[in-house]
Amino acid sequence: MHPEIAAATRDPAVLSARSDAILAIRGLSVSYPVYGTEAVRAIRELDLSIARGEILGLVGESGSGKTTLARAIMGLLARPGRIDAGSVTFDGRDLRAMPEDALRAIRGKDIAMVIPNPRGELDPLVTVGRQIATVARAHLDIARDKSDELALEMLKAVQIPDPKRRFNAYPHELSGGMAQRVVMAMSLVCSPKFIISDDATSGLDVTVQAQILDLLRNLVRSHQTAMMFITRDIGITAHFCDRVAVIYAGEIVELAPTVRFFENPMHPYSVMLLAAFAHNPRLREKWHKPLASQIRAGTTGCPYAPRCVHVEDQCRGTRPALLELEPGHFVRCLVPVVRPT
Amino acid sequence: MSAVLEVSGLVKHFPIAGQRAVVQAVNGVSFSVARGETVSLVGESGSGKTTVGRCVLGLITPSGGTVHFHGAPIDKRHNIRSKTLRGRLQLVFQEPAESLDPRMRIGHTIAEPLRSLGVSQAERQQRVRETITRVGLRESTLEQYPAELSAGQQQRVGIARAIITEPELIVLDEPTSALDPTARAEIIDLLIRLQQELETAYLFISHDLSTVRYVSHRVAVMYLGMIVELGSAAEIFSHPRHPYSVGLLSSVLLPNPRLKRELTVDLKGEIPSPIDLPKGCFLAGRCPFADERCRAAMPPPDDVGGGHLVHCYHHREALRGREALDYFDQFQSEAEQVLGAGRR
Repeated sequence: MHPEIAAATRDPAVLSARSDAILAIRGLSVSYPVYGTEAVRAIRELDLSIARGEILGLVGESGSGKTTLARAIMGLLARPGRIDAGSVTFDGRDLRAMPEDALRAIRGKDIAMVIPNPRGELDPLVTVGRQIATVARAHLDIARDKSDELALEMLKAVQIPDPKRRFNAYPHELSGGMAQRVVMAMSLVCSPKFIISDDATSGLDVTVQAQILDLLRNLVRSHQTAMMFITRDIGITAHFCDRVAVIYAGEIVELAPTVRFFENPMHPYSVMLLAAFAHNPRLREKWHKPLASQIRAGTTGCPYAPRCVHVEDQCRGTRPALLELEPGHFVRCLVPVVRPT
Repeated sequence: MSAVLEVSGLVKHFPIAGQRAVVQAVNGVSFSVARGETVSLVGESGSGKTTVGRCVLGLITPSGGTVHFHGAPIDKRHNIRSKTLRGRLQLVFQEPAESLDPRMRIGHTIAEPLRSLGVSQAERQQRVRETITRVGLRESTLEQYPAELSAGQQQRVGIARAIITEPELIVLDEPTSALDPTARAEIIDLLIRLQQELETAYLFISHDLSTVRYVSHRVAVMYLGMIVELGSAAEIFSHPRHPYSVGLLSSVLLPNPRLKRELTVDLKGEIPSPIDLPKGCFLAGRCPFADERCRAAMPPPDDVGGGHLVHCYHHREALRGREALDYFDQFQSEAEQVLGAGRR
């Protein structure tokens, strides 16, 4: 290990010990057992915390563990997935220790999730206003007329044109962008403290996406809501998120304030990902190593080692720690990218 | 430069069951594609991009207008399915997994277009081996099944199947939308290289504007079945003139927090229904520059030089007050600096 890096070593607990954190994940490991062979480790000893009013972008390619992480936080892992270790603390309470009905009271109220394919989330036989009102009544203990009022207010808040008329509309009468707004209204109606958005804007057209992102940001800021924004599109994180976390093979390999991340990406994987977006074949060749087989999490060394252009012998034997290489900028790499200052 | 493809005044309306109204999917589209050229159709969902692509191949019959391939019309008798044109026109699909037969070995899949052309088995084998290496896959892949390959590899197979007949025109309908960023970049590089080698003409259909900027020679921006602006990629991206193009381009989020385009044209509201299109300019209801003239009739195309066409009365106003800066170009040169670094 390089001496500067060793000197920069800090307890990774600082990641989860922020006093204003609404959500703190510590040492979380998730695996999917496979019949007759070793389990697939989808998340590996992951530490992450999100502060009130913060939007954290979680970027990764398919199979990196983004959705598994989201579902593990919600306590909704798809079978046969299981949490092997670690804790998820939300607003001071340990979610893993909670019984199912207590969790259910939190889900949808304090923690909301927005997923893509808005039409799939809506009941086709119930008007959208009633669906929003139902969520409110389930969690807030209010009367029907009060919940209808709240639902209408939410439709206004997500800027649906002519909200009074849309209140009585069925999902099929709405365009994709409007259906996505309704789903947002549904997840925001109980003023959640934490929102997970899992690729929620990926199916939308760019002009609609721009409107939805603006709206989400304003709502997050005005309510001091925290948000985890999961995406494959690193471009969105540049303009929408406060911090960016890059996940590869179930590990956070880099975490930094947005501007710093794009000015000074240090993990070879982050740089490779950015090069893929830059449409520059020379840069891509520089950072890309073709690889024949899929890599799974849980290998002894750095999971990125087989694809890494910086790989050294030490990378294969030791799993690098997530180190703070500049203030607030964490990198899990023994041979990080260095730029002249 | 003779055109491989010439589309003129193309109209396609789809009937709606039980109603007299029709879905006006394509409303008078004209453009051409030359040998070795990539023309991109960009636009949001419902803009009619895919319908144009299907009319070009003769998979559906247009309601009006013509499509010519090397000067000969594409119609019910002469299309991608007919003996005369088979192998000269090809198509690459969006979902690589769904466009391959899961029970057919890759070698068999790639050889299929040749089989229908009556190529001998010996020659087929020879060309399949050549083609698979050409798209950057190993020869051993020929024995595998689609499920054994990654999405990027599957798309390479889809491309191999398209180029094996050495077509003159390939319609690529969102070929990279289903792929991860790294696989997407590889496929794009492959398509560009193949075009240089084979001089194929590409009709590239996509809503991914940063990819379009990179692969296209010319770009046609579509809105509700119309090409609202057509010009060279460099022109369209540095001086978009149609208010819709300006709004569309400023919505693209490039991976650089400092490159945020100010919204000079704010497109409000929703896209009108293609069943009930407004009388004048289709954008009038969302456009900040719209006036009586726009609402009365569709503006005719205005040639602003160099074959750059704009369907708008107010394109000079849309252009005004904006520095001529190609954000995509700027992004690429800044990326060069950040990503060109190395290890210590």
